[in-house]
Amino acid sequence: MNAHSIIGKDIPRTDGRAKATGQAIYADDIKLPGMLYGKLLRSPLPHARIVSIDTSQAAAMPGVRCVITGQDIPRVTYGNWRLFPGTQDEYALAMDKVRFIGDEVAAVAAVDRETAEAAIEQIIVEYEELPGVFDVVSSLAKGAPVVHDTSPTNISIDRKIAYGDIEAGFAASDYVREDTFTVHAVSHAYMEPCACVAQSDLDGRITLWTSTQTPYIVQCLLASTLNMRENDIRVIKPAVGGGFGGKMELRPWEFCSAFMARETGRPVKFTLTREEELAFGRRRHPMTIRSKVGFKNDGTLVAKDLHIYLDGGAYNAMGPTATFLSGNFGAMLYRYPNYRYLGEHVYTNKPPASAMRGFGAPQTLFAAETQMNMAAEELGIDPIQIRLKNAMVSGDELPGVATISSCGFVESLKEVRRISGWSRKRKNLKTGRGVGIGCYSFISGGVFNWFNTQYPFSAAEVRAFDDGTVHLLTMASDIGQGSDTVLKQILAETLGLKMEDIRLTAADTAMTPQADLGTWGSRVTLMAGNAVIDAAKKIKERLAGAVSARFNLNVIFDIEFADGRVYAAGKPDRGMTFGEAVAFVQKTQRGEPLLARGSYTPRGKGLVSPAFSFGAQVAEVAVDTDTGQIQVEKMWTAHDCGKVLNPMAVEGQLEGSVQMGLGYALTEQFVMDGGKTLNTTFLDYKMPNAADMPPGESVCIDTFEPEGPMGAKEAGEGLASPTAPAIAEAVFHATGYRCKDLPITPEKVLKGLGKL
Amino acid sequence: MRHDISLTVNGDTYNLTVEAWRTLNEVLREDLNLTGTKLGCGSGDCGACTVIVDGKSVSSCLTLAVEMDGRQILTVEGLAPSGETMHPIQEAFIEKGAIQCGFCTPGMELSALNLLKTNPRPSDTQIRSAISGNLCRCTGYNKIVDAISEAGRRMKPQSKTRR
Amino acid sequence: MPVAQFDYIAPTTVHEAVAALVKGGRDTRVMAGGTDLIVKIRHRMLFPKCIVNLKRIAGLDAITVDKKNGLAIGATTLLADVANHKGICRHYPTVAEAAGATANVQVRNMGTVVGNLCNASPSADNAPTLMAMAATMDIAGPTGSRSVLLDQFFQGPGISALQVGEIVTAVRVPPPVAGSGTAYHSLSQRGKLDCSAVGVGTMVVLNGDRCTDARIIVGACAPVPMRTQAAEKMLIGKKMTDTLIRQAAQKASEETSPITDVRASAPYRWKMVSVLTIRALTDARKMALRKQ
Repeated sequence: MNAHSIIGKDIPRTDGRAKATGQAIYADDIKLPGMLYGKLLRSPLPHARIVSIDTSQAAAMPGVRCVITGQDIPRVTYGNWRLFPGTQDEYALAMDKVRFIGDEVAAVAAVDRETAEAAIEQIIVEYEELPGVFDVVSSLAKGAPVVHDTSPTNISIDRKIAYGDIEAGFAASDYVREDTFTVHAVSHAYMEPCACVAQSDLDGRITLWTSTQTPYIVQCLLASTLNMRENDIRVIKPAVGGGFGGKMELRPWEFCSAFMARETGRPVKFTLTREEELAFGRRRHPMTIRSKVGFKNDGTLVAKDLHIYLDGGAYNAMGPTATFLSGNFGAMLYRYPNYRYLGEHVYTNKPPASAMRGFGAPQTLFAAETQMNMAAEELGIDPIQIRLKNAMVSGDELPGVATISSCGFVESLKEVRRISGWSRKRKNLKTGRGVGIGCYSFISGGVFNWFNTQYPFSAAEVRAFDDGTVHLLTMASDIGQGSDTVLKQILAETLGLKMEDIRLTAADTAMTPQADLGTWGSRVTLMAGNAVIDAAKKIKERLAGAVSARFNLNVIFDIEFADGRVYAAGKPDRGMTFGEAVAFVQKTQRGEPLLARGSYTPRGKGLVSPAFSFGAQVAEVAVDTDTGQIQVEKMWTAHDCGKVLNPMAVEGQLEGSVQMGLGYALTEQFVMDGGKTLNTTFLDYKMPNAADMPPGESVCIDTFEPEGPMGAKEAGEGLASPTAPAIAEAVFHATGYRCKDLPITPEKVLKGLGKL
Repeated sequence: MRHDISLTVNGDTYNLTVEAWRTLNEVLREDLNLTGTKLGCGSGDCGACTVIVDGKSVSSCLTLAVEMDGRQILTVEGLAPSGETMHPIQEAFIEKGAIQCGFCTPGMELSALNLLKTNPRPSDTQIRSAISGNLCRCTGYNKIVDAISEAGRRMKPQSKTRR
Repeated sequence: MPVAQFDYIAPTTVHEAVAALVKGGRDTRVMAGGTDLIVKIRHRMLFPKCIVNLKRIAGLDAITVDKKNGLAIGATTLLADVANHKGICRHYPTVAEAAGATANVQVRNMGTVVGNLCNASPSADNAPTLMAMAATMDIAGPTGSRSVLLDQFFQGPGISALQVGEIVTAVRVPPPVAGSGTAYHSLSQRGKLDCSAVGVGTMVVLNGDRCTDARIIVGACAPVPMRTQAAEKMLIGKKMTDTLIRQAAQKASEETSPITDVRASAPYRWKMVSVLTIRALTDARKMALRKQ
C-alpha cells in the first residue's frame, strides 16, 4: 500500500478561515426579513399540575404575533427511542403537568426580543403544586410522588447484561469487595447557547436552521410532532459551537419556532441565554453505582456484579441509551469471566439528564477504575500491573454483547507507564504529591437502531466534475470536532486529489443523502468515513474503466489514483488527469454526470459497536493539605484510536477531553436546592480556564481497525473518562484520601484528612 | 431614552440612534450585522464577546452602546488587513489547530491581540493568564496558547493591527 | 419583570453627576466600569430608571503616588491600570496584586477599584488590602465633600455609607509606615483566577521583631469585609512568632460569621480564614522584615 499523502497529516480544519475571521454563520447569526423573536415561558415549580393558563393579556400586547401553550399543539409525544414509543415521554410544551423547574409551558413570538420577554411575563399560569422527588432514594421510596403516570415506580426503563455464572464466580474468588460510588451532574457547557430559526415557505414547508448535532433526528421528530411529512421539513445545521451530546434531540424551541413560523407566516428565531442553559439544560447523569468485584489473590478478575441507578431527571431523553451503555462500559477494559449488570433509569423532578461526552462511561469508569485501584492497594499489586494482568486483548468477547477487534490497551498501559515515569514516581514522591492512573474504552458508534431509521446509518454522495473537482454531500454533522475536514481527507486520499479539490455540502436534510444519525457516540469518523469510501470506490470503478478502455489496458493492471491523475500502476504515462477521466466517463454516458452513492450500516456487530478504542492516563497532583486544593501538575496519555487520520485533530480532542475531565473531577458541579439549580452563570459553574490546565504529553498507539475507514476508530470521547479516576487515585497517593463521590472538592479532601 | 452616537468600528464610522439599555454586543450583531462577535454568557464570564475599544479588550456584553460615542472599536471582522490576507493571529490559530467549534475564537483572538501588542514574546504563563477570561470547551487551551505564542513571533514589532 | 429600560447620562463634572443623582433619587445608579451594574440589570436584580456614567468626568481616572500624601486612586481608574502602575507596584504592591487578582482581563479593562468597593460586596477582592492599609474614601455630595474610613464604608451586603446624591471620587491610602508589610491571600474552587470564596488582607508593622500594629481583614466571611480586631490585638506589642501567628489566625476565624453558599460551605470558610490568615500574616511579616 502506498504511503498516504493526506491521511495521517496535520491538516488544518477546512472551516478555520471562516471561523478565524468571524464569517462562519451560527444559528443566532441568521437574520431573515420579517423575522420574529421567540421566548419560552418555563415552569417555576419542580412538579405541578397546570390548572389553567391565561394568555389573553400577552396576546393583546402590541408587537406580539403568536402565543402558544400545550393546548394549541398536536398531542404528540417525542423522544429519540422511536423504536419503543413507550419511552417517548415529552411534549414540546407541557400538557397537563410540569415536571422540572424550567419545563416549557408556553411560547411567544413577537417583533422584537424585548416585547417577547415582556409578553412572557403577562402569561398567567395557575399551578397546583405537587410534592417532588429530587434524588433516586426519595424517588424510589414507597409512596413517593409519581413523576409520570406511565411509570408508577418512577423507574422508566431498565437494562440487563449477564454472562458466565456470577455466584460461582464470587465463590471462586479469594478477594471480594463491594463499594458504592456516587457521581454528579455536569453541564456540556458548549460555548454556543442553543439557537434556531424556522421559516415556513409558500408551500407551507418548514426550513429550520438549528444548532444541532442530529439534523436527521430533528427532521423526523419535528415532522411527527407537527403532524407533517418528513420530507416537508428541511433541517439545516449551520456552524455549531459545540455539542458534546447536549444538542442531539428535538428541543422545544425547535418545535415552537417551526410551529409559530407556520402560524404567523414569518420566520421565528429562538436563542437561549446561558442562564437557561445552565439552569434548565440537559446534563450528565448523576449515578449511584454499586459494584461488587471478585479477584484471585494474584489479581486475576473473576466476577463483577454491577448495579446502577441513573438519576434521569424529568424525562427519558437519551437516558435509555446511557442505561444500556453503562452496563457495557462496566464490562469493558478487563476480562470479567462472570458478569452481571442491572441499570435502572429513575425519574426525578430535575432537568433531564441526557447524553454527554462518554455516554455513561465517565460515571461507570470512575467507579470501575477507582475500585480497581482500591483492589490493587489491598492486594498489594501495582495498579498498572493488576491492569496488565486483566487487560482485554484483540479477540476478547463480551458474550452476546460485543467482540473486541483491534485493541491496543496493553500497549497503552505500558506506554503511559514509561512516559510518566510511573514506577519511580509511585515510590519516591513526597507527601502531598501523587500519581494515579485511570483507563478507558469507548465505542466507535452504536449499532443498536433505537431511532428505527429506515435509511443507512450514514450515507455519502460524491459528484465528480471534469475540472478535476468533486463535491461530497453528507448529512454528517461537524459541530467543532472536525468531521468535515476528516471526511474531505478520506475522500481526497481515496481519489488521489488535494483537499482544495473537494467541495463539501453537509448536514442539510433536503440536500444531503439520507441519512446520517448524527454526531454522537463517536460514530462519525467510522460510519460516515466508511460511507464516503464506499461512494468513492464506486467513482473509482468508473474512472478506472475509462482509463482502461482509453489505453486498452490488460485487465490485470491495477489503476492508481494519485496527484490528481488516474493511471495504470507502474505506468504513469498510461493515464490521464482525474478531470479528463471524468469527462471520458461522462461522454460514454451521453452527458449524464458521474456521481455515486455510498453508505454504511453496521451489521453483525453485536449489540454495542463495531469497534472499540482504548487508553490509559496518568495524573500527577500536588495537594495543599491545609486548604485541600488540588493542583494537577501534569497528565500523560497513551491511547489507541486506530489509525490516526489527523494527528493535530486527535490531539485537540485529547486536550479538550482533559479540560472536561478535569472539571468533572474537581470543579464542575450543579449546586442544587431541591429541584432548583443555584449556580447558573460561568462565574459559579466553574469549568477550567486556560490557567487551570495542566501540561500534557501523549502517545498514540497505532493499531489498524479492520472495520474502520483506513483503520481508524473513535478518538476523543472515551478520553472524557480516565481523567477523574486518575486524579482521584493521585490524590489518594498524595494524601491517603480516597474519593468515592465526585467531584473531589477541597472540602472533601480536608474532611477526608480529618481537618474539617 | 434614545441617544445619538457616532462610533468607529473597524475604521468605518457609524451614526446611530440607540436606546440607553442596549449593549455594544447587541448593536454590533443586530444593527451593524457584525455577527463575528459572539454572545456566550451575557455576564462577562466567558469572553466570547470580547472586542477592543480604544486599544483595550472589553466584554461587549457588559458595555453599553451609548458609552461608545466617539470610541474606536475593533471586532474580529477588522482583524485581517484584507479579504486575501489574514492577521498573524488568525493564521496561527488555523495552522496550530487552535480552532474547533470556533465560537470562542473571535474573542480569543482579540484577547491575544490585547496581550501581544504590549508583550510580543509572552511566556506560556502570561498567555494563560491573559486568556483566562476566555472560556473554551473544545480545545483544552493548549493549542490556543501555542498559536498565540507563534503569532507573537510572526507579528512584526509595532505592526499595524488597527485600521 | 423584563429587563430594565433606563436612561443614561454622562456628566463631565462631579458637580453635574451629583446633581443628576440628587434629581433621580434611588432609581438612579452610578456607573464607573459597569461590569457589576450591567450584570445585575441584565439578571433582573436591579431596575434603575437612569444611569449616570462617571467615565467622562475629566481627571477622575487619575492615580497619584506621593511620598507624603500616599496613594490616591480615582473613581474611574481601571483595575488594570492599578494592577500595572509602576508606582503602585513598587510602593503598594499588595494593592496592585489585589487589583490584578480581580476577575479577568476584560473586566479589569472596564471595571474600577472604586467600583469594586462601592458594590459593597463582602467578597470584593480589593477591600481587604485597602482596609488593612487604613484607606479612606473621598465622597462628593450635594452638601459638599467628606471622607470616610473604608472600615466604616461597608454597612452590609450591597450597602455602603453613601447617601443619595453622593459619589466616591477617590480612594486614598496613607503612605506605608516604616517597617510595615502587607499581603493578600484568597482562594476559590477554581484556583487563583476566580472570584474569591475567602480572602484575607493583612498589614503588620514591626519594630525589630516586635509587632507594633496589625490589621487583619477577612473578605466573604461576614456581611461586610470584616476587621478581626481581637486577632489584631493578640499580635500588637508582641514578638511575632509563628506560634502567635497561628493563634491570632485561629482567633480571626472565630470572629467571622461565614455562610454556606454556592462557592463554599461555612465550615470550610472558617477553616480557610485561619489558613489564609496564617499565610497573609507570614507574608506581611516577611515584607516588613525586608523593608526594615
